[in-house]
Amino acid sequence: MEHLAYLDAGSGSLIVQAVVGGVAGAAVAARLYWRRLTARFRRRPADRP
Amino acid sequence: MTVPDTEVRGEPGSFRDPTNRVFYADGEVLRGLDARAAEDWRALAASDFFPPLVAAGKVCGTEPVAAARFPAPDGRPWAAVLRHERIPFVSHPYEWTFGMLRDAALLHLEVLRAALAAGFTIKDGSAYNLQWRGAHPVFIDVGSFEPARDGEPWAGYRQFCQTLLYPLLLTAHLGVDFQPWLRAQVDGIPAEQMRRLFTGARRLLPGVPTHVHLHSALQRRHAAASGSEVREQLRTAGYSRGLALATARRIERLIRRLRPRRVRSHWADYRDTCTYSAGDRAAKERFVAAALTAGPPPELVLDLGANDGRYARLAARHAGYVVAVEQDPAVADELYAALRAEEQPRVLPLVMDLADPSPGGGWRGAERAPFARRARADVVLALAVAHHLAIGRNVPLGQVVDQLADACAPGGRLLVEFVHPEDPMARRLLANRPAGLFGDYRAEVFDRLLAARCRIRRRVELPGGTRTLYEVVVGG
Repeated sequence: MEHLAYLDAGSGSLIVQAVVGGVAGAAVAARLYWRRLTARFRRRPADRP
Repeated sequence: MTVPDTEVRGEPGSFRDPTNRVFYADGEVLRGLDARAAEDWRALAASDFFPPLVAAGKVCGTEPVAAARFPAPDGRPWAAVLRHERIPFVSHPYEWTFGMLRDAALLHLEVLRAALAAGFTIKDGSAYNLQWRGAHPVFIDVGSFEPARDGEPWAGYRQFCQTLLYPLLLTAHLGVDFQPWLRAQVDGIPAEQMRRLFTGARRLLPGVPTHVHLHSALQRRHAAASGSEVREQLRTAGYSRGLALATARRIERLIRRLRPRRVRSHWADYRDTCTYSAGDRAAKERFVAAALTAGPPPELVLDLGANDGRYARLAARHAGYVVAVEQDPAVADELYAALRAEEQPRVLPLVMDLADPSPGGGWRGAERAPFARRARADVVLALAVAHHLAIGRNVPLGQVVDQLADACAPGGRLLVEFVHPEDPMARRLLANRPAGLFGDYRAEVFDRLLAARCRIRRRVELPGGTRTLYEVVVGG
């Protein structure tokens, strides 16, 4: 669904809420960063001309 | 004030969420909803969590009315219009005490948790979502509920931090009054400013490592990231509604533990050192009670310089609603705690310096109305306050009279006490100032200034002989 929130929640303010949520939240944050990291490596070869 | 049937007046503070707007018509508080907001409202009204919150008085009373009567600003009809219960006196978070801001924050989180558990969320997290009925907070922003999207954190968290959590941390951890910070910034205190205040060992104080430092660092790191992408990444990483609930519970636990850190103030000692004789006090109470019971009960009473709230409570026995204004945050907070314990529904304590009342704030200076525009009372109590303004703050006596009279609605009454220069309290104030500076500070001058502006109805000398009480009618 298209996101129509009138307020800019702030990307950093969204991510920090995972950490604030305790152990389960920290696991979500860890998965998020792991995926971002691996996505970077995955993209790199394809980025080359 | 009664507004003619056709006249619709927009609330200047209601424009940020374009899906709904608060306005006034026929003396009522109304909220126009567009098609999307109307759909959210229907889901909300049919939910299990919303009606009980309204019934418990935690969310303001709301009911739908015929939408066709009130055209939207662009001339098109609203998809739906809601009527809200009227809040007796609108106040701003920078006029609240620490305890009030804490209880308002806790209510906001309680409403959020109830909403999350039922599959809804709140679009924002502002302290301005809350108002007061006496010493009870009430959530007023009914337009901000919407069905939650699974796997999304709370969009209002940053706003909650800036306008509720951070101000509380300032006072609890640093002993700094939060009111000037909130008054100066309508959006509250940014994480970046907080980070600079909490350095060294203060980094480790409860709530600071995550809500301040990590929050600020992640804001900087992800400043350019797209919000919808981050939402999607969080969803695929397993962010859940349960986690959102756990976050709200943790913030709630943190806030419950916060206590104001401050030294005992001058004003807290004031009533102990105040030189009232029992005879003077009794005579003063009789005077105030007689004025309040003469004629129909006043709807709104302002008690300016309320201190421990003795006269505000007395007024509440005879009036619809009393706003007790006290300049010292610690004294006002004690008053709030006492009123809250008494479950007082008709006295609202506020923190404000009468020599520096709340100005207009926010967009065009109109988003948050100045105190002078909100303060139009049927009865104003100004007991033992004029000498503090005239001598303590160098306000010319005529202007003191003008300010007090301006707080009265047309035909309203002012009960004002003049403390003669010979009174021990006035002598104490005058002793700190150069001799001769306040030559006009005399009973006959005050009497003349009052008579020029108002109609003096009653004048009583207290038995001690150094204080005079006046009941005057202002205009009308």
